[in-house]
Amino acid sequence: MSDEIRLQVKNLCKSFGVTKAVQNVSFNINKGEVHALIGENGSGKSTLTNMLTGIHPIDSGTFILDGKEIHPKNQVEANDEGVSIIVQELGTLSGLTVAENIFLGHEDKFVKYGIKNTNAMNKEADNLLEKYGFSRIKASHMIDEYNFEDRKLVEIVKATYFSPKIVVIDETTTALSQEGREELYKHMERIRSEGNTIIFISHDLPEILDKSDTITVLRDGVYIDTVKSKDMSEDDLKKLMVGREVTGKYYRTDYDEKISNEVVLSAKNVTVPGIIENVSFDLHKGEILGFGGLSESGMHEVGKAIFGASFDREGSVTLADGTQINDIPTAIKHSIAYTSKDRDNESVVMNQSIGDNICLPSLDKLASGPLRLLSDKKLRAFAGKYAKEISVKMVNTDQFVSELSGGNKQKVVLARWIGKDSDIIVLDSPTRGIDIKVKQDIYQLMDQMRKSGKSIIMISEELMELIGMCDRIIIMRDGKLNGELMRSPDMDENSLISKMV
Amino acid sequence: MGSSIKTTEIKKLSGKTKGYLVLVVLLILSWAVFKVITPGNFGSPSQLLQYFQAGLLAATGAVGFYFVMVMGMFDFSIGSNIILSAIVGCVMATRFGLGYPGFVLGSIICGAIVGILNGIFYVKLRIPSMIVTTGLALIYEAVSNYIAGGVVQTLPSSLRLFGSMQGSIVLAIIAFIVAYILLNYTKVGTYTYAIGSNEFVAKNMGINVSKYKVIAFIISGAFFGVEAILSISYGSSMVAVTGMSSMSRNFTPTMGCFFGMAFRKYGIPIQAIIIGEFIINIIFYGFIALGAPTAIQDVITGLVLLIIITLTTKVDKGEIVK
Repeated sequence: MSDEIRLQVKNLCKSFGVTKAVQNVSFNINKGEVHALIGENGSGKSTLTNMLTGIHPIDSGTFILDGKEIHPKNQVEANDEGVSIIVQELGTLSGLTVAENIFLGHEDKFVKYGIKNTNAMNKEADNLLEKYGFSRIKASHMIDEYNFEDRKLVEIVKATYFSPKIVVIDETTTALSQEGREELYKHMERIRSEGNTIIFISHDLPEILDKSDTITVLRDGVYIDTVKSKDMSEDDLKKLMVGREVTGKYYRTDYDEKISNEVVLSAKNVTVPGIIENVSFDLHKGEILGFGGLSESGMHEVGKAIFGASFDREGSVTLADGTQINDIPTAIKHSIAYTSKDRDNESVVMNQSIGDNICLPSLDKLASGPLRLLSDKKLRAFAGKYAKEISVKMVNTDQFVSELSGGNKQKVVLARWIGKDSDIIVLDSPTRGIDIKVKQDIYQLMDQMRKSGKSIIMISEELMELIGMCDRIIIMRDGKLNGELMRSPDMDENSLISKMV
Repeated sequence: MGSSIKTTEIKKLSGKTKGYLVLVVLLILSWAVFKVITPGNFGSPSQLLQYFQAGLLAATGAVGFYFVMVMGMFDFSIGSNIILSAIVGCVMATRFGLGYPGFVLGSIICGAIVGILNGIFYVKLRIPSMIVTTGLALIYEAVSNYIAGGVVQTLPSSLRLFGSMQGSIVLAIIAFIVAYILLNYTKVGTYTYAIGSNEFVAKNMGINVSKYKVIAFIISGAFFGVEAILSISYGSSMVAVTGMSSMSRNFTPTMGCFFGMAFRKYGIPIQAIIIGEFIINIIFYGFIALGAPTAIQDVITGLVLLIIITLTTKVDKGEIVK
């Protein structure tokens, strides 16, 4: 790490409508460092890096890269300036080959007299993949043949093969398994040692402290401070992010509560071909049951299977009154709620208002009169009540969900099911990509629900939250159950990991 | 479990081989059904050649239209483009005495201009391509009618080279090769798939999405120009119809294009369009051989084609189809 300045951010501003996403932010980033950008959801981290990489236009202010002002209009122009980005969600395009994805926007070097030399392109891509140690990925294959994780690896190649001066890694690690993360860390270290810079965005504070040299904190679009990682502790960072001491309970603190004997839901030999096999368990009243494992262990499918959303499911899911759950309408009718890991695509309706999203499953209940008509007033009151109850950060319930940050979207999803008053709540990765303050809110909410007799299934890749919140944790491996642990103050991550791999 | 072993064996075949296998099976099946029902007047080798030639017509247009369809757009002005381009080509050759060059270039350039108009109106007005092209189709029909002066335009017998088997095959093959190169060996092909996959990401990669959408319409239009050449050569004359009657010509190229979309995953879209049009024509001529009433022909043709597309398009479970 050197003290030479690579990038100067000067008086940067960006608004979306009335929301001031980034306000007059200025700071410097050095050569050869991993520079973390942290802050709660909606603090402006992604907006800032999106302006740097040409995804959003700049309202005012400048980026000065190695003494030269840059204004990229899209990612390719940013690449030409020496800046690239690995995004949080999928950044590769279906229907193209691996090589076409890697060189998208940069085909010109393979084009002669208008004809593209596909062989040369594939060969170069294969060389790169080989160099990165990903030789099992083939350049000429369609990208669709690879899973999420491998497609992320292709993105790493795409974003770094041309030795950019700055690589932005935007919350990529939350989407990756441990092996994927190790791969990413390795390349971060390589880029850093070559004297180039990484801007690293993550909500995982231990990861931030471990992997970064310098940390810049943003809060509500405003620059707070830039600090050295080695001088900081997790609590210091939390304080900077939230602007006050993080007080009150985070995880549950009770350890001796007995699990009720009343079984509310029983899964017997649930099998989804190729994904999970013979999964059987009972869920008790007032219990938080955790499912842990690697992301490909099949645990995410368990949530879908219980909700009747799996395809070709075998085995049975039975409620206390004997009702069989085989499809989603039956599940919802019998008070089961489900929030997907893929929040944007499977949980919220992006292009509708917060109010519409909250009322969606409760419309039957809200309809009145002989014609079962819906009253605007009633819907608004209903949405307003539950949005307020879990403090969604919004202008009003007419605001579109697409304008909200990840954490607030998740709150809308939870408000929906609290409004529906479901008794069995299946939460798949409820805190994925969410900052600590909203996390704390969600944990508190789960604890309240538990105490009021609701049963919760929590599927998560974050071991600490499973340990902190669950009465029982079932570990899955290769689509099967691979052990069960009871709540205990002595449980640590290692006891879970040993059953996961 | 037996079935899963079988599927893995099939999986071992390369994508292309699998695609060809499915197409050939469909081809033989559609031929065999009609051959069994009406063995006397259907499906002899020479008749098959005739069906194939008829299929080539629509296939030349469909390979161009594929670019538009992959990007997720649609075109309802196909028929009016073919009629207009054929009439313009014919008028160039006869009224202006420009012979073959006037005929061929006139048709192709006219088709491309129609494509430019479709593309620009679609990009600038920002309304769905289906609506834009429907509106423009009415205008193209009126223009053809004006140029033709309300008279049937007949191609003189001295200019019917592309109506013969050899001539039509040569022109069609040239068209297929051009489409294949555009799709696989130029930036246009890559960008077509990129825009079709995710327009937003494509834009972020510096692709000028509007520009490439217009280019797709131009390619599509020019290939319909080629189809126009073959159509008027084959039928020897062209009538400038009005009142949306040109829409009936939309059907065959569009269906062939669906074959291309369905077999895209096997990596043989162009090939699938050519064989697909052949299959469609086998079914058409099969019904003619049967002497079935037109209404019944239409009902059965519609259903059979829906079935073929359903069987060949594998939608992932839970995938949203629009």
